[in-house]
Amino acid sequence: MEPTIPEFGRFAEPSLLILVSLSDGPKHGYAIMTDVEQATGRPLGPGTLYAALARLEERGMIEALTPVDRRRPYRLTAVGAANLTEQLHGLSAFARHGLKQLGVTEP
Amino acid sequence: MRTLLIRCYPAAWRERYGDEFASILDERPLGPFDVADILLGALDARLRLRDRRADVIEGKGFSMSLRIGGIAAILGAVSLATAWFLGSGLFAVADTFAGFLLLLGLGLLLVAVAGLTGFQARTDPVASWAAFALLAVGTIIAMVAFVGAATLGGDGYWNLGTLGLLIAIFGTLLFAIVTYQTAALSRGAALLLAAGSVLPFAAMVSNLMILTVAALVCFLLGWFLLGVQAIRLDRPATDPRPA
Repeated sequence: MEPTIPEFGRFAEPSLLILVSLSDGPKHGYAIMTDVEQATGRPLGPGTLYAALARLEERGMIEALTPVDRRRPYRLTAVGAANLTEQLHGLSAFARHGLKQLGVTEP
Repeated sequence: MRTLLIRCYPAAWRERYGDEFASILDERPLGPFDVADILLGALDARLRLRDRRADVIEGKGFSMSLRIGGIAAILGAVSLATAWFLGSGLFAVADTFAGFLLLLGLGLLLVAVAGLTGFQARTDPVASWAAFALLAVGTIIAMVAFVGAATLGGDGYWNLGTLGLLIAIFGTLLFAIVTYQTAALSRGAALLLAAGSVLPFAAMVSNLMILTVAALVCFLLGWFLLGVQAIRLDRPATDPRPA
């Protein structure tokens, strides 16, 4: 499976989780952290969150909105949505391949 | 503690993300995992900032190299072409002026080769700098010999000048091959330069004047086109004006 954002290195997975979190609407940093933690059961540290956010913003996959108090919401851009779709399709195909090799039939 | 952790990030990062980052840290108690994560994040931000600065400096260096090389190639080609016309005997101009233009043109081509090699060497450093070394040594020998011949006279200087030109021609051929292979600059101009390097030998063997003229035209046109393309490459790819 070809990684879509290979230059993100160890921030590729957190970036994917952030894109998924933003796919249902804009969120600020703390909301993204709690959303990711609820979805995966694993905490997303603030250092990792902002390292990934900076990369995503630089690549035009997310954009910052006007801050409310000190909280700044982020939203998914069209580029980010296309990239996320592509990554999820890739993961889905990879998962189907793995299940098929294991002999597990899909429900 | 929170302020200290935020201070670990570079100032440029703090200016952009500092406020919202501080608000996140205020919303939850910090555990050892968070502290380690923030310290790693600060290290990452510093490394990224350093890499970006290095990229900017490197980019400026290549841009400057390309611009200087391009301008020098155009001026060098024009200067040599003018020297050629003036030295042809068709115009009533003193030989010293044509000689001055010849030296000026060779000097400018030397600068052009240095600038363009600095740009091309990113792809193939060994061949690029070898071509530059041959061209530089040959051109300097030829320049010194021409000055010696003009001021002191004697066949020795002319022979030395011929040797210098031969070395410079081999250097030009290698430079043309490198330019064609790396494709960093115009391949068409590289072919013209290659033709300008090979045709003098064909002219010597066949004793045909037309081949000498063709060699000079190819040589000068090749440098001129390389210069034009180098300057075009140096311009930003997109229109910087806001929509």
